[in-house]
Amino acid sequence: MTTTNGARILIVDDEPQIRKLLKVTLKAHGFDILEAEAGEAGVYQASIGHPDLIVLDLGLPDVSGMEVLKRIREWTSIPIIVLTAKEREEDKIAALDSGADDYVTKPFGMGELVARIRVALRHAGNAKSEPVLHLGRLVIDLAQRLVELDGNRVKLTPTEYELLKILASHAGKVITQRQLLQQVWGGHHHESDSHYLRIYIGHLRKKLEEDPTRPTFIETEPGIGYRFLLQEPLG
Amino acid sequence: MHRTLLAAFKQKFMLKPYILITLGIAALTAILNALGFAFDAVNVALIYLFPVLFSAVYWGLRPSFYAAAAGVLAFDYFFVPPFLSFTVEDLRYVLSFGVYLAVAALTATLAARLKQQLHLAERREAHTAALYTLSRQMTAIGDIQVLLGNVVSQVAETTLSPVAVYLPDAAGELALTARSAGNDGFGEGEAAMAVARWVHRRSRPAGRGTGELREFPGLFVPLYTEERIYGVLAIRLEQGGGELTADSRRLLEAFAGLAASAIARLKLSEEAKLAQLTAESERLRTAILDSVSHELRTPLATIIGSATGLIDGDGMFTPADRIELLVTIRDGALRMNRLVTNLLGMVKLESGMLQLRRNWCDAGDMLGVVLAQVEDFRQQRHIQVKLPDPVPYFRGDELLLEQVLINVVSNAIKYSPDGSKIVIEVWQEGPWIRFSVTDEGVGIAPADIDRVFDKFYRGRTTGGVTGTGLGLAICKGIVEAHGGTIAAEAHRTKGAEIRISLPAETADLPNLQEEEEETL
Repeated sequence: MTTTNGARILIVDDEPQIRKLLKVTLKAHGFDILEAEAGEAGVYQASIGHPDLIVLDLGLPDVSGMEVLKRIREWTSIPIIVLTAKEREEDKIAALDSGADDYVTKPFGMGELVARIRVALRHAGNAKSEPVLHLGRLVIDLAQRLVELDGNRVKLTPTEYELLKILASHAGKVITQRQLLQQVWGGHHHESDSHYLRIYIGHLRKKLEEDPTRPTFIETEPGIGYRFLLQEPLG
Repeated sequence: MHRTLLAAFKQKFMLKPYILITLGIAALTAILNALGFAFDAVNVALIYLFPVLFSAVYWGLRPSFYAAAAGVLAFDYFFVPPFLSFTVEDLRYVLSFGVYLAVAALTATLAARLKQQLHLAERREAHTAALYTLSRQMTAIGDIQVLLGNVVSQVAETTLSPVAVYLPDAAGELALTARSAGNDGFGEGEAAMAVARWVHRRSRPAGRGTGELREFPGLFVPLYTEERIYGVLAIRLEQGGGELTADSRRLLEAFAGLAASAIARLKLSEEAKLAQLTAESERLRTAILDSVSHELRTPLATIIGSATGLIDGDGMFTPADRIELLVTIRDGALRMNRLVTNLLGMVKLESGMLQLRRNWCDAGDMLGVVLAQVEDFRQQRHIQVKLPDPVPYFRGDELLLEQVLINVVSNAIKYSPDGSKIVIEVWQEGPWIRFSVTDEGVGIAPADIDRVFDKFYRGRTTGGVTGTGLGLAICKGIVEAHGGTIAAEAHRTKGAEIRISLPAETADLPNLQEEEEETL
């Protein structure tokens, strides 16, 4: 909680009802709120209001949310959570590929949104690279390329390790299939390559999860990509 | 007027055969003369019958009479003494001339008639063949433009004349709908349209060869069956005689009758389709209205009721009550969201907006997503997953297929008691990936087995469970879009089973090389 207290959140949404709902609830959770009802105003607020995080609606009346996202990303890397209506998977993927940190679909549960905001803020807070990732039962030693589950060494192939490293070092964040393919296999790739991704994620789950159909580490974001589930640190 | 008379005269008495006959007889005479047949008069007379027969066969009666006369004259002049004179020495020759002429006339008549009959038989055969071809084509064609195109080209080919067809357009105005190829503007223009309209109004033929508007160059025939008139067929008969024989008139009428009945067939089937569609959409509209008003109003009522209760009587409620009311609001909203999602899905399916994005799907991963989605909703039911090893991969739209599985599993949860077991099984069987979801709930009545996948249909065993009857209909649409099948199996005693089969399509599975023997 300490990291989130007093954090300033900019809400960019054209629906007064949604803005009101967000404002009331997020204030109750201890956040400071800035508001913008359109894209241009959102970019302006982002530049002068010094927010710590932006909640951005993709469907805006003046400029598209995607455009706002790109403009903000030109000069800052503060976390941006995209709010979108579920229908358009392409939009979500495009937003994540263009630098959004997470997305929440409308209609959304308030608890989920607050949790996502916390994760994004925490992530922004300790962006400094650590040599060893402690993720609940899983420990990844980035320097020695070692993975341990409950203290036991897990044997991974180089590709599996690369995938796990990318997902775990962005724990809590959605990584799109394209981002994973690009970072692990590099270069250009086409659609059928998503098959490789599925197979390797399958292998990883087999090695890490107790029940691969009820994953506790790597969660599938349907149609978009994968997310390393953030294990709440004990205590 | 003078010019047309001259043309008619030319057509009736074509000079070419007469010139040819004259030249032929002259040549024949010269040859006979040169060969010295002068004293063999009987043979010469027989040889002179030859041009008569020839012209009878090729040009008809009149030229053959001319040939007979010319033959007699030439015979008399060159071969009957005194030679090179028309006078006759022996009067018996005059009798011979008479006999010769009679024989010539008789043979010529016979030959010409034979020739005419042959010609007629040929024409009839061609007409029958054309009618047969057209009637065979007519039954196979389902599109009115193609049908008209065929009629027009067939009639034009048979009669060697430009052809046009007029049909009423959407506004009921007669319009030129089809024309034969190479038609140099026949059927266009105000005059032709006026005649067509006249024919359409009175259902009577008009134009050349009929009792009405006979000065118009074309013949207009109505396309009608017993009950109604469908359009007008027009033909310009100029080439090949101009005069319309009874025969070609009959042919045209037969064509018109055929075309009319084919158009009638298409129109009727179109109307039947439309009527069915209207009835179906009427039924759907009622069902949608009923179901939407009920399914949307119920959660709205609970939301509005709970919210106003909270606003008005803020102090009256205990914290537990407040939570209760708030949970009611949330659940009502979630229920509405499910309904709206299903309605939107149906609209997408119906309007053809649904586009499959075929990706590689991992059945295990998909089930993981499905389980996570129904996690809050499943309450105390035990969901058991049976997966083969290795887990099958196949191509499909994972999002839509997940929606299918979520709908099916939600149904299993909805219609089965708390604490019961739901089994999800996946296996590969030849070219199919099979999914099976079995519950221990109320089951499906045997009579409902096929109908549960119909839109807005709800089984008899659904009892007090709420729903719109859209979920399985959407599932069916999505599965069939993938080329798969979905079926229900009823076990009245131990619940229901839904089986989904999807094409495995593993043929073009990228080959995953085991590049990585070495592990970390």
